[in-house]
Amino acid sequence: MQVQMRVAGYNPRQPMISHRRPLLLLFVLVLLVPARASISWDNPADELAKQIAAIAGPGPAKLTVKNRSAIPADQVAAIRRTLERQLRSYGVTASGSAEVATVIRVTLSQNLQHELWVAEVQEGAEVKVVMVSTDPPAAAAPSSSAGVTIRKAFLLAEEMPILDVDFVSVGDERRMIVLEPERLTTYRQNAGTWVKDQIFDIAHSRPLPRDPRGRIVLGTSAASGHLFDVYLPGVVCGGSESNGRLLLSCNDSDDPWPVVSQKAFYNSTRNYFTGVLAPGYSTQPGPFYNAAEYARSGGTVTLFSQTNGQVVLYDKGVPKIITGTRDWGSDIASIHSACGEGSLLLVSAAGAAPIDSVRAYEIPGREAIPVSGPMPLDGSVMAMWPTNDAATATVVIRKEQPGQYEAYSVSAVCN
Amino acid sequence: MKPTVFRPFVINSLVVCLALSAGARTRSRYGGALRIETQSDPWRFPDGVARKLVFDGLTRVDDSGVVLPELAIRWESQNDNHRWQFWLRPGIRFHDGAALTPAAVAASLSQSCAKQCPWDGLSTVGNSLVFVGDSAMPQLPAELARSMYLVARQHDAAEPSGTGPFRVTNVTNGVVSLAANSDYWQGRPFVDTVQVEGKRSLRDQWLDLSVGRADIVEVPAELLHQAVQDRLMVLASHPTDLLVLSVSSKGALHNDQLRQAIALAVDRSALFNVIFQKEGEPTGSLLPAVLTGYGFLFPTERDITRARNYRAGASASPMVLTIDNPDASTQLVAERIVLNLREAGLNAQVRPPSSQSTPDLVLKRIHLEAGDAAAALDEMLEDLGQKIPEETGNPDVLYKTERDFLKTYQAIPLLYLPRALAFSERVRDLRLTGDGTPMIVDVSIDGAK
Repeated sequence: MQVQMRVAGYNPRQPMISHRRPLLLLFVLVLLVPARASISWDNPADELAKQIAAIAGPGPAKLTVKNRSAIPADQVAAIRRTLERQLRSYGVTASGSAEVATVIRVTLSQNLQHELWVAEVQEGAEVKVVMVSTDPPAAAAPSSSAGVTIRKAFLLAEEMPILDVDFVSVGDERRMIVLEPERLTTYRQNAGTWVKDQIFDIAHSRPLPRDPRGRIVLGTSAASGHLFDVYLPGVVCGGSESNGRLLLSCNDSDDPWPVVSQKAFYNSTRNYFTGVLAPGYSTQPGPFYNAAEYARSGGTVTLFSQTNGQVVLYDKGVPKIITGTRDWGSDIASIHSACGEGSLLLVSAAGAAPIDSVRAYEIPGREAIPVSGPMPLDGSVMAMWPTNDAATATVVIRKEQPGQYEAYSVSAVCN
Repeated sequence: MKPTVFRPFVINSLVVCLALSAGARTRSRYGGALRIETQSDPWRFPDGVARKLVFDGLTRVDDSGVVLPELAIRWESQNDNHRWQFWLRPGIRFHDGAALTPAAVAASLSQSCAKQCPWDGLSTVGNSLVFVGDSAMPQLPAELARSMYLVARQHDAAEPSGTGPFRVTNVTNGVVSLAANSDYWQGRPFVDTVQVEGKRSLRDQWLDLSVGRADIVEVPAELLHQAVQDRLMVLASHPTDLLVLSVSSKGALHNDQLRQAIALAVDRSALFNVIFQKEGEPTGSLLPAVLTGYGFLFPTERDITRARNYRAGASASPMVLTIDNPDASTQLVAERIVLNLREAGLNAQVRPPSSQSTPDLVLKRIHLEAGDAAAALDEMLEDLGQKIPEETGNPDVLYKTERDFLKTYQAIPLLYLPRALAFSERVRDLRLTGDGTPMIVDVSIDGAK
């Protein structure tokens, strides 16, 4: 419970990692976690030791360290050693003897924002208190495994809602573009890290809906300079390139969004598509949250995750109800896969916030069959869109504590 | 102590477990009507449930205590926190169509705090408000997030107009009917309408929830355990309500040893274990441990021997204990305290408040709104009638300020209690703010069309 509390309440921002080399960077991160943890104790330990020494003065003292925070028990000994070392540097030597005149009681505590280290320095009947605030160290990310394994690579974290993330090539350079409700930000790589490059504000003539959604759709005619389109409720933007710089031009528009090979009209005051498609089917689906095309041996079918909770499969324009979707959430995305029939359907899970997961399914007939275990996510899925090449899907989650959005690139590998 | 600090999270986890089996998760759906019942008047100034749905503040404080923009988009302090300038978010309108102007905000704020405002002057400059104070106001942005500073047009009207996610459509017989504000600057709420029915007894609230006549009802801390046993879906906040014994410093209680004897005689663990069924946390500090991290420095243990020693020689005239806004649980607490005092040789009686005499002891329940520790201490000291120190920024200074005040034994903190709600299975994404206010704007209804 304590560790869970820590992850939920104090998970710090994670450094951005390369989309191209997630495994290498994941390995580097794993190596870095313990190092960062040990580094993070040095400063507060030094500050606290300095304050203790100012009260106690040089000489022996009995030191006790008590943990009332979410710091894992196995790290408390390391903190104690660091504290003893820092105290020694100020002339205070920790002694186990009960005969010493000075007793230092250190309590590792925490509040909503920080960890708080408190020292009570007792000399005779007099007790003086000093304290320092510190930020908690990073927590490790969970992993998943099963028949087909779904993997996630961290892209970025922000306090503002992230609606979609994709990558465009500008000349020989790859750039990451991040869509938020009121702006689009581009990133360039610098020494293996994504660094903010350009920010474009996106104006809205009317308030966005409560659960804003948006999508980046990469263009197919890069030769003309047009790189991508951005679809938001009531707004469409075009992204292009000129002399190595990106340009963005936006207009109020209710044009349909390219969702699958069809285009779908979005209800700009709500969080779903109206169900009106262009060119459409003879029988249109009902209002839906998301749609995905799934390639299988008999041809490509289209699935609609409807707002009434049903998932409808269109096979050659004919709607069919499929089974095995009772546990599905509202977000679906199809990605290419080397396993099975060539496509996998990624689906967000049923259940309530603050936990969620993504699982892979195959649909050989009219039943959805799970082919992976659920990949746990530390927040609710707020967006799931396939990337342009459908090799991966971008999944955005909203974490409850602190209120933060994180984007991941999700892919599947065959076991 | 630690397990009690994290108890609310345990409860929240339990809620999640129950909710998981309740139905499939899809994106929030728009539509539907939400019915809320409360014991208090939903339109009560300053923190009635309905008011928080209709009005916005200039700022708000998030769960981790960070002050965020709301109707003000930015602010800056000058002259060592004696002057603050807040710039308004452009393009906002009240529900009645009037534009949100600095003059309208200034009028609302001045009316809210009347002559007890934390600032000494308030003026408008362009699209901004300028607050000036004879004393420094380091916590002003957090202070302005409190309910009493919600911005309204015509505070006193039966149906005042705000800028919030819901607008008032009707107020009849204590029932406030609200409709979603389609033009809300943070996005239209998911539900179409909210009906808040006040002055409902707890028994009626729980009955209405069980038969589907209410969606969200109250759960007092002492009934949290029962609510979970009854398999209600319950959501509990951090500890936000302080039960505190305010001690007069006049008459016989001018003797600070006698006040200390009272503090040592009170048995917090009995209140915690018996009356509140181990919900909340015993506290010796004014601010909850979860907010400060140093709560353990204030002892909560009873010491009846020292209490008797301190009491020795003091006059034995009976003390009068009254309860501020009494209810069943505070009545029990007061009676228990009288028993505790009697065991220490102190004589006290519980009496209803009287305008003719000043009570020696007052049992108060203080709701803590501020999510920022420094602003919370300001709020708490203000509620206890104390002068607020100018600088309470860092934990060290906060601790010393609190310690110095508590050493006067004019306030004896007893317990911190959470606020909790029970809700129906059709309610989705209900969360509580740091002070236990339900975030109705994010709620959606399962099955809404």
